[in-house]
Amino acid sequence: MSINYVVKRVFWCILIVFGIIVFSYLILIFSPGDPAVKWAGNPRGPYASMAIEKAREELGLNDPLYLQIARFVYNVFNGNIGDSIAYKQPVLPLIYSRLQSTLELLVIAYVIAVPLGIFLGIYSALRRGSRSDSLIQAVGTILANMPTFWVATGLFLVFSMSGISLYGRINTRLALSTGFHPITGFYLLDSLIQGNLLVFIDVLLRLLPPALAVAVYPLGVLIRLTRTLMAEALLEDFVRVPVAWGVRRDIIIWRYALKASIPGVIQISGLSFAYSLIDAMVVEYTVFGREGLGNLLYDALNYSDFRLAIGLITVVAVFYLVVNTLTDIIQALVDPRVRL
Amino acid sequence: MRGRLVLVIAILVIVVAAALLYIVLSPRESIPRRIVVYAYNDKISGIDPSIEDDTGLVILGSVYEPLLYYNPLKNEFKPALAVNWSSNEDGTEWVFHLRQGVKFHDGTPFNATAVKISVERARDIYRETGRGLGYIWDAVEEVQVLDEYTVKFKLSYPQRLDMIAAASYAAYIFSPSVLEKSSASSYMDEALEKWFNNGNDGGSGPYMIVSYRPDAEVRLKKFDEWWGWSIVNNPDAPDEIIIKILTEPQSQYNGLIAGEIDIASSVPRDNIGDLVNRGFKVFNLTTYHNYIMFFNTKRYPTNITEFRKAVLYMINLDEAMQLAMKGYALKGSGVIPHSFPGHIDNLVYDYNMEEALRYLNQSGVTTPVTIEILYQVDYEELKIFAEYLQSRLREIGVNLVLNPQPWSQLKDIAKGIWEHPETTPHIIIADWWPTIPSPYDYLYTMFHSESKEWNFAGYEDPEFDNLVDTAFEREGSNYTDAINLYREAQLKLYNEAIAVNLWDEVKPFIYSGKLEIPEEAMNPLYMYVVFFQYVKVKA
Repeated sequence: MSINYVVKRVFWCILIVFGIIVFSYLILIFSPGDPAVKWAGNPRGPYASMAIEKAREELGLNDPLYLQIARFVYNVFNGNIGDSIAYKQPVLPLIYSRLQSTLELLVIAYVIAVPLGIFLGIYSALRRGSRSDSLIQAVGTILANMPTFWVATGLFLVFSMSGISLYGRINTRLALSTGFHPITGFYLLDSLIQGNLLVFIDVLLRLLPPALAVAVYPLGVLIRLTRTLMAEALLEDFVRVPVAWGVRRDIIIWRYALKASIPGVIQISGLSFAYSLIDAMVVEYTVFGREGLGNLLYDALNYSDFRLAIGLITVVAVFYLVVNTLTDIIQALVDPRVRL
Repeated sequence: MRGRLVLVIAILVIVVAAALLYIVLSPRESIPRRIVVYAYNDKISGIDPSIEDDTGLVILGSVYEPLLYYNPLKNEFKPALAVNWSSNEDGTEWVFHLRQGVKFHDGTPFNATAVKISVERARDIYRETGRGLGYIWDAVEEVQVLDEYTVKFKLSYPQRLDMIAAASYAAYIFSPSVLEKSSASSYMDEALEKWFNNGNDGGSGPYMIVSYRPDAEVRLKKFDEWWGWSIVNNPDAPDEIIIKILTEPQSQYNGLIAGEIDIASSVPRDNIGDLVNRGFKVFNLTTYHNYIMFFNTKRYPTNITEFRKAVLYMINLDEAMQLAMKGYALKGSGVIPHSFPGHIDNLVYDYNMEEALRYLNQSGVTTPVTIEILYQVDYEELKIFAEYLQSRLREIGVNLVLNPQPWSQLKDIAKGIWEHPETTPHIIIADWWPTIPSPYDYLYTMFHSESKEWNFAGYEDPEFDNLVDTAFEREGSNYTDAINLYREAQLKLYNEAIAVNLWDEVKPFIYSGKLEIPEEAMNPLYMYVVFFQYVKVKA
């Protein structure tokens, strides 16, 4: 990886984040709803107007627009967006606590989707032309095209009928009565650290249905992509020659064919991981009532909390950029043909 | 190859077994037995005891205490941090004798200085910044500490200070030690407000804050040294309370069924019967939470009194209430809720199509005519009402366009009546609940011409303003006279059809059979507050 790549990448990331902040600020500041009213606490009585005017001063809303934007951009890059207008708490810790919930969901979804997608893709490619190949390809197509929200709702109904409680990240009473307390904010990890099996199982059961819902799209895509890439690789000379030489089947599959297919799989996994963040945000709140980034954004827009909203948008944007960059780096490490 | 596979599997088995052993043998901390989970349907907007004026009340009510409580249903005061109080003849001086032996949660003693500081802070923050509801203390000129447990209030005009001291907002007493803890330079410093809103606790109430996440949950634990435990005599009171923020009624319903929630403040009304059948109990609290329908008095055709009356005569409130609230409401009368000081019965426009058509004719408005209604999008009951009204008004040639908006946008649009009334919707529905047990809270805030932030009717009438102002001044010296003046003001609003109260909400709190919630645990003046010290948790 060259210095040139790093410098260019960093430069473009900063520029993209800058553009997103400016664009978001302009949209939100001109949207209906006066954040000064909420910041002032919905004031009443004879001095209500004074309170709102003071709030406008505190939020800098009376300044010229270019100054507002410049100050806001500076604060974002400084890591100090200020207090949320709706919650009166610092924005970044608020976002971070919710991001943990959403990330936990996303990671579990990908722990399900990636190995399973690769396995089924390989299985299908090795049996190309057969009925099982057709079936797996069909399943992959269906999964890749199913609306996540629909899947989530269906899973919710099915699991609810079996008596498993799905609402929220954790059974609060269970957590309290077993002495569970968050350490990292990732409850699965925290419960393992504390040796709290009951909470671990509770958190895992609540995570599985939304994780399955979020996993559906990347699973479908990975099945089809892996199958295609593997099938192509199996016909290449660098695979056919070792076959002719009598090299063992498992070595041909894992060391030759799959190795050639992996760069494409990594690229798609990375891109869809970033994309699935949005799916996770929608599904976790609207269907499963989990506290995550989804309902935080909803509240931010509802209460004209432009600080929180832009903070969220920025975090999501940075997430996309980081994931895409990491994907490129991993691909370069795995594929010697790729030079950064 | 096979050997390697066996080795890998063996290592995995050992690791998993070790992990399980660790888990099973890990020590557990001791567990409080009585935990109550209370589902609340809105995020907490803040917990500064002097400034908070919204949903934070649900926390403040358990963590802080005022000098006294008032129950309008029984017209009864209950001593809290004050044991008795009296005023001089003209109501300009009030003396409160304070309870002795009270401690704040940090161990510091409660005394008259704490009262002085708390009241002055609420009042002065309002005077200097307009924030909070400290205007309730506006009449207080001076707070004198006569001795450690006696405080005297000197007022610039007569006021019912007992009512004000029992307010649901801006009347909470905090420990003076918060100044040092917050590193604030003075009690007016914003740093102190930030300190409170970061979840810090300066109260004396029966419960203290353990953790504060206003977007998700707030945990409280029993304050064993609370002065009131011996009086309440409830050894089965909860040890820990979790106030869980669940904004969706369906989530609260699911939580009850799953046994994860003990008290739900907002379940779908259609599901209440099902919950009762499953063994849950219901506490129906008649609240002062009402829904006011304002007419835009500055825009055609709702600027015509006869047209407004025509609209009102098309509403069958009993029918609308049943549809929207499924019976969990009392029909509105006047603008003040039932059993609240100043309420008037039978100040209702009953459905009468003939009268509606007569007034429509008198108004001179030619039909078809189109008007617009603005209401809050996340209140399902208002959506149902708006649709009901739409179908009703269609019968007399009035087309109603629905405009649902989130609260923040609704407020912004509604107060635009003062700057651009011609584009502000003709009808606006907003909900309200009181701060102080005085009609002033409703009548001034929503209809006085000075109150441009909340006067969504754009109503400007010097005679009305004068009635309300005079009534407020007279509350301290001649309460009966003041109430009569408030009633006169309401009659004016009714006769001119400026606004109507659609209904007072009857709030069903659904709770599990393992709890007992007596009457003392709820008070309509303190919206959504459950006085957990009275709640019994069966083992």
